[in-house]
Amino acid sequence: MLICAVVLELSSIKTPQHVKRTRDLVQAKVSGGCPHKLRGQYNEIMMFMAGERNPASCYLDERTFRLCCQLFLQHSETIQDGWSWEQIKGTDEGFMKKTVLMPVKPSFLHKQHECSMQDENMVTDDVQANVEDETAGVQAVCEIHAVLRYEYHVLYSCSYQIPVLYFRASTLDGRPLSLEEVWSNVHPNYRQRLQQGPWDTLTQQEHPLLGQPFFMLHPCRTEEFMKPALDLAQAENKRMNYVVTWLSVVGPVVRLDVPLSYSTEVSAPD
Amino acid sequence: MADDKDVLRDVWFGRIPACFTLSPEETTEREAEPYYLLLPRVSYLTLVTDKVKKHFLRVMKAEDSTEMWFEYEGTPLKWHYPIGVLFDLHASNTALPWNVTVHFKNFPEHDLLHCTSNSVIEAHFMSCIKEADALKHKGQVINDMQKKDHKQLWMGLQNDKFDQFWAMNRKLMEYPTDEGGFRYIPFRMYQTMGERPFIQKLFRPVSPEGHTLTLGDLLKELFPAAICAEENPRPAALHVNPRCEWGNLQLALPPPSPPACLTTQPVTGTEISLSVPVLPW
Repeated sequence: MLICAVVLELSSIKTPQHVKRTRDLVQAKVSGGCPHKLRGQYNEIMMFMAGERNPASCYLDERTFRLCCQLFLQHSETIQDGWSWEQIKGTDEGFMKKTVLMPVKPSFLHKQHECSMQDENMVTDDVQANVEDETAGVQAVCEIHAVLRYEYHVLYSCSYQIPVLYFRASTLDGRPLSLEEVWSNVHPNYRQRLQQGPWDTLTQQEHPLLGQPFFMLHPCRTEEFMKPALDLAQAENKRMNYVVTWLSVVGPVVRLDVPLSYSTEVSAPD
Repeated sequence: MADDKDVLRDVWFGRIPACFTLSPEETTEREAEPYYLLLPRVSYLTLVTDKVKKHFLRVMKAEDSTEMWFEYEGTPLKWHYPIGVLFDLHASNTALPWNVTVHFKNFPEHDLLHCTSNSVIEAHFMSCIKEADALKHKGQVINDMQKKDHKQLWMGLQNDKFDQFWAMNRKLMEYPTDEGGFRYIPFRMYQTMGERPFIQKLFRPVSPEGHTLTLGDLLKELFPAAICAEENPRPAALHVNPRCEWGNLQLALPPPSPPACLTTQPVTGTEISLSVPVLPW
C-alpha cells in the first residue's frame, strides 16, 4: 500500500524537486516507524524510474568535491548553519567542519556512565519534583537536558572517490563519548541497517588529516543510495550538488540536520 | 612465481623482538617482570599480546585492569598500525629488543582508538583490505569474494597461517595486464612530524605513455622531500614489478644507512606502507 502511494507521487513528477520530495516522503514514513526495508523499496522505485539510461557516475573527483563544498558553504553562510572550511596548510586539500550542541535526556548519559553523573547538567531534586507534577506532555518540555557536543567533518576519500562523514562527540566537560553511547544516539530506524556488516557501519577511525580518534560512517554503501538519485537527475537533465544530496542522506543517521533549503538553493558546480 | 613466494614468506614471517615492561604508574601486588615476545611485523599489537596482558594482570588487582595500551618513549602506540610500521616509525634506529611500556590506566582517549575485542581488529583489517582493493580493482575483487573468503583472510592473519592467507590474498593481488594492471597503487607514507598521520594519494602504476613506473617515480612525484639526493639512483633503479607483489620491496631496497631516510613495511602484501622518519639536516 505504501509503495502504491509513493509511486503515484512519483508519476506526477517532472523536476528534480521530486528527488527531494520523494526522499522527504520516504523519510516521513520512516520516522513514523515503518520497517527499515523501506529504504530498499525506495531504491527499487528510483531504479525503475531511472530506466535504461546510461548510469551516472557515483563517483566524485576531488576538484568537484571542493567546488560542491564551496557552494554548500555559501548557503551555510546565508542561513547561518555554522559550517566552515578547514584548509590543510601547504596543500589544496581540506574539509568542511561544523560543531553542534545537542540536547539529550539526562538518562542517556546516566545509563552509560554512572560515575560521571555528578558533573553533568543534571536536574536538581527540586526541579525534578516540579517536573513530575506536570502532565506528560508538559513534562517533556520542562525536562532539563544534558548537552552533548558533536563535531562533524566532511572529508574527501581518494580511495573511494566519494565524500565521507567523520564526527566526534563529547560531553560539555570534554569527556569523549564511547561507541556505545554514540550508537544509542543513532536514530532507531537506522540502527538495524547499520548493523549489517562488520566493516559497513559506524566505527571509530583515525581522522586521516588530524590523526585523532573520530567516528566514521563507512562509505561502502554510498554508491547504493547515490546511484538512483544521480541517475534520476541525469534522466531529467538536471545536475545536482553531490555533497548536498549525499549529506542529506547520511547526516540524519548521526543526528546531523541538513535543512531542506540546501536542496533547493544550492546549485551544482559548473 | 616461485621466487616471489620466498620473498612473500620472508615478509610474512618477519619478526621484531620486543620487551614489554609495566609502567611504573601501575599499582601491583608483586613486582612485575618484563615480558619478551617476538612480534610479527604484519600483525597488530592488540592481536598478538594476549600473553602480555595475562602476564601483567597476574601481579595486579583485578579491578585495576581496564583496557591495555602501549607506549614507546612517551608516545602512545597506535594499535591499528601494523607492528612493523610502528617499529619503523618510532624505533628503527634504536637497539633491539624494542622496549615497549604497558599501561592499564589513563587510556589516552585523544590519541588511541579503543580496541575492546578481536572483532574490532578484524573490522579494521578488513576495512584496510577493502580500501586497498577499491584502489586496485575498484573493489570488484573483494566484493566478488564470499563472506567465508573474507573470514579466511582474517583467520590467516590471526593464526599466522601464510598459506591460508595467501590462498585468498592472491586474488586481491591479481594484476590484469591487459586492463592496465592495478588502477592505482595502494600505499601510505607515514610520518611522525606534524598532525597529519600519513599521506595517501592516487598513483597509477603505468605512466600516460605506457611506461611501468617504479617506487622511485612515486617518491619523486609525490614526496620529493623524502628522497635524499645521494639515495636517488637506487630507488630509481628499482623496478617494481607488480606481479611480484609489492611485498618484494622490503628486500629489494638497500638497508637504511645515514642519512638514508627510507624504510618499508609491506602490510599483508596487499598494500605498502612506507615509514619515513624525518631526520634533521
